[in-house]
Amino acid sequence: MAAFDYQRASIPIRSDLPAAHRRYWDRLAKPGTWWTGVERVAIARESRNAVTCAFCAARRVALSPYAFAGEHEHAHALPTRVVDAVHRIVTDQARITRAWVSDNAANGLSNEAYVELAGIVVAVLSIDEFHRALGLELEPLPEPIPGEPSGYRPTHLAHDIGFVPTIPPEGAVGPEADLWPGGRTANVLRALTLVPDALRDWRHLSAAQYLSFDEMRNFEQSRDRSLNRMQIELVAARVSAINECFY
Amino acid sequence: MLRVSTQVTGTAVDLGAINDAERAALDLPLGGELVRFAEAVAYRDADALTRTRKALLDAGGAQVLVDAAGVAANFQRMVRIADATGIPVDNMSSDLSAEIRSRLSLDQFASARNTPGALS
Repeated sequence: MAAFDYQRASIPIRSDLPAAHRRYWDRLAKPGTWWTGVERVAIARESRNAVTCAFCAARRVALSPYAFAGEHEHAHALPTRVVDAVHRIVTDQARITRAWVSDNAANGLSNEAYVELAGIVVAVLSIDEFHRALGLELEPLPEPIPGEPSGYRPTHLAHDIGFVPTIPPEGAVGPEADLWPGGRTANVLRALTLVPDALRDWRHLSAAQYLSFDEMRNFEQSRDRSLNRMQIELVAARVSAINECFY
Repeated sequence: MLRVSTQVTGTAVDLGAINDAERAALDLPLGGELVRFAEAVAYRDADALTRTRKALLDAGGAQVLVDAAGVAANFQRMVRIADATGIPVDNMSSDLSAEIRSRLSLDQFASARNTPGALS
C-alpha cells in the first residue's frame, strides 16, 4: 500500500495533500546534504519522541531551559546533542538562542547540519500534526536509502539575520535561482537557505498545507480552498500566538 | 496577513479575534469554530481536538476541516523555523507592524529578542 493512503480517512482529503506528504517521505529517506538517509529518518523519529518526552515537558515549564538537567526519552540512534536539538525545536523553540546554536556548532553540530535537521524536524512535525488534527494514524517512517550526503553549500551566503548564515535576497542565482521568484523574499524564506533543499521541501509542503507562493499574493479567495484568506490567516495567527511566535 | 486580507477585502475584523473565539465568531463565518480548532491543534489537546473537529465538520463541512487542519499543521512548522533560526521580523518600522505588535502584546514573547528594537 502506498504511503499516505487517505482513502481510509472518514472524510475526503484533496489529492495535493497526500502527494506533498508522499514526496516529502521519499526525500526524507534519501541521503540529504549533511545527513545520511539513516540519520534523517532517525531525526524524524526523534521529532516524534519529543512530543511525548517527559524531560521536555518538565523543561518546558522551567524558568530557564539551560539550567535544567536530565535526559530525553529517545531512541539512542543519535548523539545526545543532536537529540537535544530535535527535542528543543519541537517542544521549546521560543527559547532557542544564538548562544546555544553557536555552542552546538563549536561542539560538532555544525550550522549546516543544524539547518538540515531543523528542516526535517519541522516537516515531519507538520505532517504528523495534520494527521493528529484529523484523527488519523501517523504514517510509518520510510525505510532509509543508503548513500552519502552531498555536502553542498551555496556560494552566496550572508550572516546578516538570525543565528545561521542564509542566502541574501540578491543571492538566489545559479543553482539557487529557483528559491524565490522575482528577487523578492522574506526572512522566513531565507531562514533555511544554508541548505537550499530545506527551503524547497518547505515550499512543497506549504503549497499543499497552506498556500503556494502565487496564492500567497491572493488576499481574497483561493480557487482550491474552501476557507477564504481571512479564515486561513485566523487559524495561522491563532496557532502562531499559542506558540508565542514573535515573527 | 490577517490584517492585510481584511484591508484588501474591506472586511472589519478585530485583531483581538485571534485570541478570542467569541469575538472571532462575530467577525468571520466559522470564526469561533476555527479558533477553537486551531487552539486544540496547537495545544495537542486530544479531547478538545475530538470536540472541535466535530464542531468544525458539522458547521463547515469536510473540506473546511481539511483546509483548517492543513493550515494549523503548517504553522506548527512555520513558528519553529522562525524561532530555531532566530530570524527577525522583516518590517519592524511599519505602522501596521507596530499596531499588530501592540494589539497582541507580541513584544512579551521570548522570541521578540531576535528582532532588534522589539524589546526597547
